[in-house]
Amino acid sequence: MAREAGLSPLEATLMSTLVYSGTAQAATVGGFATGAGILAAVVTVLMLNARYLLYGASLRPWLSQTSPAQAYATLWFLGDANWAMSTKAHAGGEHDAAFIFGSGVSMYLPWVAGTALGATAGDWIADPRTLGVDFLLVAFCFAMAIDLFKSRTDVAPAAAAVVVAGLLDRLAPSGWTLVAAGFAGGFTAWLRYDDAKGKAA
Amino acid sequence: MTLRVELLPLLLALALASFTCRAGGFWLMRFVTVTPRLRAMLAAAPLAVMLGIVTPAALRGGLPEIAGLAVTFAAMRLWRSDLVAMFCGVAAVALCRGLLPQ
Repeated sequence: MAREAGLSPLEATLMSTLVYSGTAQAATVGGFATGAGILAAVVTVLMLNARYLLYGASLRPWLSQTSPAQAYATLWFLGDANWAMSTKAHAGGEHDAAFIFGSGVSMYLPWVAGTALGATAGDWIADPRTLGVDFLLVAFCFAMAIDLFKSRTDVAPAAAAVVVAGLLDRLAPSGWTLVAAGFAGGFTAWLRYDDAKGKAA
Repeated sequence: MTLRVELLPLLLALALASFTCRAGGFWLMRFVTVTPRLRAMLAAAPLAVMLGIVTPAALRGGLPEIAGLAVTFAAMRLWRSDLVAMFCGVAAVALCRGLLPQ
């Protein structure tokens, strides 16, 4: 995917090493392709990775048993899968904070290696458009959206995102379209949240 | 293997933004309590951003792109794997482009 946006294999691999977030990298690479600026890209990453605020927060009681240096090193490797694994292990009686670090690193290394391999293989494809390579990003994002869609509470934020993205794309197409869509979805969820019921309406 | 120097500030800014999120929550918990309402908002953002990428592509796309999205959806329902669904969708787009006159 990164190759499609004009990143070299080295640049793509470096990006995986530094940013380490599938959704954030997919979105910002999409932004490069449409010529979005650095600010739009940073806001996109902040928004997509906002869930890590929650992950980190939930790990606080566990991770604060270690030294700050160890805790922040562990957080560098924090990902969706290893957070889910760690939370489950913690509930099951695992209290060694090294578990979070270990499971994090074991997700991180394949991610970086996979990018290096994929970006190098991209050089061998002759005409990307005939093979539909330009559609990779859209298809991947759509698949992830389907995966992220868990319940009826997701309908309203999703609808808000689609409407805002559709309108903005007509009026002012840019990397900001997805930023606006993200805020529209998040704000809708915030508005619709029902304190009395303790869940989104 | 090329590395454009002008790209480095962007990559570093993204890395910083990414790590800020990873470490920020852990750090912020010293000061803030995350209300369930705020949690709902943060949880809704990724889906919305993904749709913010898909929607413009769907609106601008022709028959191949629409078919590709439909196949992606079907594959995702069948196999529940985002990578498999992605390749099915891309294959559908390539097939349609090959068969239909451009």
